[in-house]
Amino acid sequence: MSRTTDPVALDDWYVVGLPGDVQAGRPVTRRLLGADLTLERTADDVRVTEAASGRALPVQTAYGHLWTTLGAPKRPLFAIEEFAEADRRLAPCGAVRVRASGLRLVENFLDMAHFPFVHTDILGAEDKPAVEPYDCEIRRDVDEVWATNCRFWQPQAAAHADGGQMSDYIYRVASPFNVLLYKTCPSDAGRQDVIGLFIQPEEEDVSVAHAFVHVVDAVSSHTAIVHFQQTVFLQDRFILENQRPRLLPLSPRAETPTRADMSSIAYRRWLKEKGLRFGIDRRDAA
Amino acid sequence: MRPDGSALPVLHDWELSAGCYAVRLMASLLGVAYHKALVDVHPGGETEGAAFRALNPRGTVPVWVEGPLVIGDTVAILGHLAATRDPSGAWLPREGAAFARTLDWLAFAARRLPAADTARLHAMAGLATGMTDAAGAAREAFRALDDHLARQAVDGHGFLAGPTPTVADIACFPSVALGVDFGEALERSPKLRAWTRRIRALPGFVTTPGVPEFL
Ligand SMILES: [Fe+2]
Repeated sequence: MSRTTDPVALDDWYVVGLPGDVQAGRPVTRRLLGADLTLERTADDVRVTEAASGRALPVQTAYGHLWTTLGAPKRPLFAIEEFAEADRRLAPCGAVRVRASGLRLVENFLDMAHFPFVHTDILGAEDKPAVEPYDCEIRRDVDEVWATNCRFWQPQAAAHADGGQMSDYIYRVASPFNVLLYKTCPSDAGRQDVIGLFIQPEEEDVSVAHAFVHVVDAVSSHTAIVHFQQTVFLQDRFILENQRPRLLPLSPRAETPTRADMSSIAYRRWLKEKGLRFGIDRRDAA
Repeated sequence: MRPDGSALPVLHDWELSAGCYAVRLMASLLGVAYHKALVDVHPGGETEGAAFRALNPRGTVPVWVEGPLVIGDTVAILGHLAATRDPSGAWLPREGAAFARTLDWLAFAARRLPAADTARLHAMAGLATGMTDAAGAAREAFRALDDHLARQAVDGHGFLAGPTPTVADIACFPSVALGVDFGEALERSPKLRAWTRRIRALPGFVTTPGVPEFL
């Protein structure tokens, strides 16, 4: 397909890689919303051009990643305040392609009910499958979806976890294709690790997931952190690639919600309000 | 340190590598203890670096380090584990036709199945490949395995080299079972699916992310 015409999708910022992906004299190509992009290293920055039109696109480096937009974002890139804390370590976990709508990836990220069955003995235990009630809201002032007071028993909550813990989670959907979670830090109960998923939607049903961890962890090696997240994400990838339809249905009829799905209900309603079309199963929209 | 004072062997490991998974699987089936040294292959590119090249000039994982011995190839590590840790000798038969058949299918794994690993890492991580149509080559290799297993079934043999599993089966299993990662779910390979189920049922079997629960 060619570049989407969906203005809601176009007018937003998307990650297209890491600054280190683009070396001098070695341009790389990327795909975003159905458009081919070329990324080139310039004297002091990275230039992104849309291949079909030759148009230079806005670029910014934030949260250790390269961001661009094909449209005209109506607001600046969301803030992640924890990036101001100097004792945290950022570990980008490598781009992974998934044949599924990016919105499906966000919804999977928000879903705690799958932990015991998909991330068995890591993020959940099969004998403790219950999702306790949590709170969920669309925050109108910042136009984000938040789920708070989430709790889940986790046998190995992070690379540096030493045994199981009751993890407290806060989920934050900062934009339709970018989602974060704040999670009890196993080595410092007073602080929270930040885990995020920046999604580069290539096509409606093909996405590149840029997962990262931004942690207070003086113990684990960088590689141990990356491997932990890669393992977890590959478990999700397998599930996501087998979900049908690959696009996200918005109709409440499509999949029966339960209390555990509150964040998914809020996310879908929020997407509907925005009028987003890209990545959404529109067959039942009428 | 082990009770006898010697250090455990070290597997230089990457979770996503099919070859590393083959070694983890073989070690588990044989009950071999080892330490893991994690290698940041993607996105870190650690295998390209000088430190890693000093360990394994081929720049590949897995690497098995046991005292002065450094083994930098999956098939060689599997052979080494079977030769040194399996008193029964069944995993690496030394006699007659079973020996030849085991080497034959080990060679198949080494020659034909890297296409599947290439297709998989390309589909998953966009890692550059020098191979054109790796997925096509992988599907051809899977068909060859399926045909071979169909012939084995005529003799009542459920594994690649005979009636019991050998290192050849373990060398082939990861690439086949992880084929779903590039969209090859073995729909047209019933013998291959049945063979993966037999391997999953072995005592000591361990999985890795991406191996389907049901195939
Ligand atoms: Fe998950």
